[in-house]
Amino acid sequence: MVILVGLVVGFWQFIRLDPGYNPEGFRLDQLWIIVEKLFTPQRGRDWSDLFRYMLTLENPLLQTLKMCFAGTIIGSLMAFPLAILSAKNIVKTPIIYWPMRILMNLIRTIPTMVLAVIAVIFVGTGLLAGIIALILFTFGIMSKMLYEVIETIDMGSYEALESTGANKVQSFRFAVLPQIFPIFLGYILYIFEINIRSSAILAYVGAEGIGTPIRDNTLYNYDYVGATIIVLLALILIVQGISGLVRRKLQ
Amino acid sequence: MMQTRSELMLKKKPKRWIMNLVFTLALATGVVWSFNKATYNELRLRTFGTSIRIMIEQFQQINWNFFWGTYPWEATDGVVFMTIQTLAIAFLGTLLGAVLAIPFSLLASKNIVGKRFAVIGEIILTMIRVFPELILALILVKGFGINAFTGLLAIGLHSIGMLGKLFSETIDHMDKSSLEALDAVGANVWQKVKYGIIPEIVPDISSVTLYRLDINVRSASVLGIIGAGGLGSTMMLAGENWNWSTLGAILIAIVVMVMVVDVVSSYLRNKLV
Amino acid sequence: MIKFVDVSKTYPNGVQALRKVNLEINKGEFVAIIGLSGAGKSTLLRSINKMIPITSGQLFLDNTEISSIKGRALRRLRRSIGMIFQSFNLVKRMSVYNNVLTGRVAYRSTLRTLFGFFPREDKMLALESLDTMGILDKAFIRADQLSGGQQQRVALARALTQQPRLILADEPVASLDPITTVQVMDDFARINRDFGITIVANMHHVDLALKYANRIIGIKEGSIVFDGGSSQITDDILVNIYGRSLKHDEVLGE
Repeated sequence: MVILVGLVVGFWQFIRLDPGYNPEGFRLDQLWIIVEKLFTPQRGRDWSDLFRYMLTLENPLLQTLKMCFAGTIIGSLMAFPLAILSAKNIVKTPIIYWPMRILMNLIRTIPTMVLAVIAVIFVGTGLLAGIIALILFTFGIMSKMLYEVIETIDMGSYEALESTGANKVQSFRFAVLPQIFPIFLGYILYIFEINIRSSAILAYVGAEGIGTPIRDNTLYNYDYVGATIIVLLALILIVQGISGLVRRKLQ
Repeated sequence: MMQTRSELMLKKKPKRWIMNLVFTLALATGVVWSFNKATYNELRLRTFGTSIRIMIEQFQQINWNFFWGTYPWEATDGVVFMTIQTLAIAFLGTLLGAVLAIPFSLLASKNIVGKRFAVIGEIILTMIRVFPELILALILVKGFGINAFTGLLAIGLHSIGMLGKLFSETIDHMDKSSLEALDAVGANVWQKVKYGIIPEIVPDISSVTLYRLDINVRSASVLGIIGAGGLGSTMMLAGENWNWSTLGAILIAIVVMVMVVDVVSSYLRNKLV
Repeated sequence: MIKFVDVSKTYPNGVQALRKVNLEINKGEFVAIIGLSGAGKSTLLRSINKMIPITSGQLFLDNTEISSIKGRALRRLRRSIGMIFQSFNLVKRMSVYNNVLTGRVAYRSTLRTLFGFFPREDKMLALESLDTMGILDKAFIRADQLSGGQQQRVALARALTQQPRLILADEPVASLDPITTVQVMDDFARINRDFGITIVANMHHVDLALKYANRIIGIKEGSIVFDGGSSQITDDILVNIYGRSLKHDEVLGE
C-alpha cells in the first residue's frame, strides 16, 4: 500500500514538471466552448450542410474499412504458422520455439502508431502505410494469442491421430485445427475491432482513413471535426456490435 | 442393384465444402480489392533499399545526448525523462480510471442494481468506451493545455469506460456461494461486502487493471503526437525528418519500457490468480 | 504376430516400467492385460505401436524388429494398428463421419488430406465401419453430442476404417456405465470373431477381462506374473497380481 502511494507521488512529479503544465492556465470554460464548437455548425453553415458533409465522409470510411480488413486478415494469416511453431506442445524442441517467441514479443511491444510512423517513413503517406502497420500489429498480437490457445487444447485426439500413422501435419490439421479454428475467428474479429479504433490515430500519422478529415480540419472547421467524430463513433459502435454478436454465435 | 445403407448415407452427406470455398474466395477478393487504390508514395517505395541502409547506419549512431537530456533527471527534454513521464501518465491515468470506474461498474452490474438499470449503466459505459483516446485528448487539450496532464486525463477517462465494463462483468460472474454462507451466519450488509464480495473480486479487478495498465503504457507513448506529453511528441518530429538517430533512441526507450511493464504486469497477474 | 524379447523400459525420471518382458501374442487372439495402476500396463501397450519407445530388448511385429523404425516406415506400421483410448480421443467439434474418416488419413498423401479430399472408397469404408458398429444414422452429428458408449463406438469405427490387423485398447470401458460397458465389450468380441483382428486390451475390471478375453496377462511391477487362459486364473493368482484381494471397483459385478 505504501509502495502505491510512493509511486503515485513520485510519478506526479513528472507530470508536474512538464513545461506545458500550468494549473492556473486551465481554461475549463475553453473546454466547454470547444465541445460546443464541435457539435454545432460553424462559419455560416447550417445543419443540412453538416449532414451533407457527413455523407462525403463515405470515402474515408471505406478507406478505413479496407485498411483494417486487409491488415487484420493478412496479419492473422501470417501469425498462424508462427504461432504453430511457437507452441510447446507441437514443436517440442526449445531451439525452434524460443527465437520465435522473442521475435513475436519484439513486434508486439511496439505500439501501433509507432509502427505506422515507421511504415510512413518507408512507403510514404497513404493507405499502404496503414495496411502495413496493421499487418505488423495484428501479426504480433495474434501470434501470441494463438500460441497460448494452442498450448491449452486437449492433445488426446492429436495422440489418437498419430497412433493411426498420420504425420505431424495431418495430425495437426485433423485434431488441432478443428479445435482452434472457431477461437481463431473470434480473435480475428476482436483484433479487427481494435484496429478500427486505432484507425483514427493512424490517419493522424499519415495513413489514410477516417482520421484524415479530423487532422485536416482541426484548425478551423471544428464542426466538421465533430461530425467526423460522430461518424467514427458510429462506426466503432457498429463494429463492436457485430463483432460481439458473431463471437457469441461462435461459442 | 440394391444400394447399401452406406451408399444411401453418402448421398445425404452435407456438402460444407462449397460454403467454405465461397467464403474463402470472398475473403480473398476483399483483401485484394482493399489494396486497390491504396495510395503510397512511389518514390519512397522505390528507394526502399536505400532507406533501410540509411536506417541501419543512423541507428548505430544513436543520439545519446538526446537520450539523457541535459540533466538526466531534471531536464524535460531527455528521453529518459520522457519515458518516465510516459509511465507516469499511464500509471496515474490507469489509477484514476480504475477508481472512477468502480461506481460506474456498480451501476452497470446486474447483481447490484438489477437488470433494468444495469442496461442504462452499460449504455453509458459503452458511450464512454467508444471514444478513442486520441480524440479525447484532442478535445481535452483545449481545456487543459498541451502537457502531460491532458494525457493523463485522456487515458483516465478512456479507462473508465474500458475498466467499468470489465469490472461489472467480474461482479456479475462472481461466485455467490460465499455470500450465502455469510448470510447463514447472520452477517450484515457491510460485513458481507467486506468478507464476501471484496475478497472475491479483488484478484480479478487487480488483474484486469494491470492488463489495462499494459495497454495504457502503449497508448501513452502515442498520445504525445498531439502534445499530450511523453515520447510521442518528439517521435513525430524525428520521424518526419528521417532522423533515425533520435528516433532510434526513442524506439529503444519505448521497447524497453513496454517490455519491462509487460514482464512486471504478467508476474503480478500470475501471483494474483 | 507380436513378440517381446527381454524388453525393458526405463523412463527419463528413473522409473522402470518394464523389466525384461518376454511375451508372444498370436494372430486372432483376444488378450486382456490386468494389473494395478502403474504396474506397466499402459507402457506395455503403447510400446507395441511405438508410442512409447523401449529402452532395451527387442520388439517384433510380424517378424520386423521395430526399435530402428521411424518416420514413414513407422507410420506405415501404425496404419494397420488401431488404438482405442479410455477418453475416446475423438475430435469433439467434428462430425462422427469426419472422425471416422481420419482413420484413412495415414493412407493418403498429405496434400490431399489437407484439403479434405478423400477418395470414394475411403468414404464408403468410413460409412461401412459406422454401419458395422450400428451407428450409421449418427454419421453427421457432432461427435460430442453422443453418449459415452456411442463415442467409443465411433472410436472403434475409426479403428476399423484403418483396416487394421491389430487393435490396441487402453482401458476402453473404464469411463462407461455398466450396461454400455457390456455393449462395447460385446463389440470388441464381435470384431475379434468376425474380422479376425487381434485385440490387446488393458482391462481395469478383472471379471470383464476373464469373461471376454481368451488369454490373460497379469503384470506386476513391470514383470509378467501370469500368462495363460482365463480358465486358469485362480484367486491366489489374482492376489499375487494385485498384491491384495480385489477391490470393489475392480469387479464389475452383474
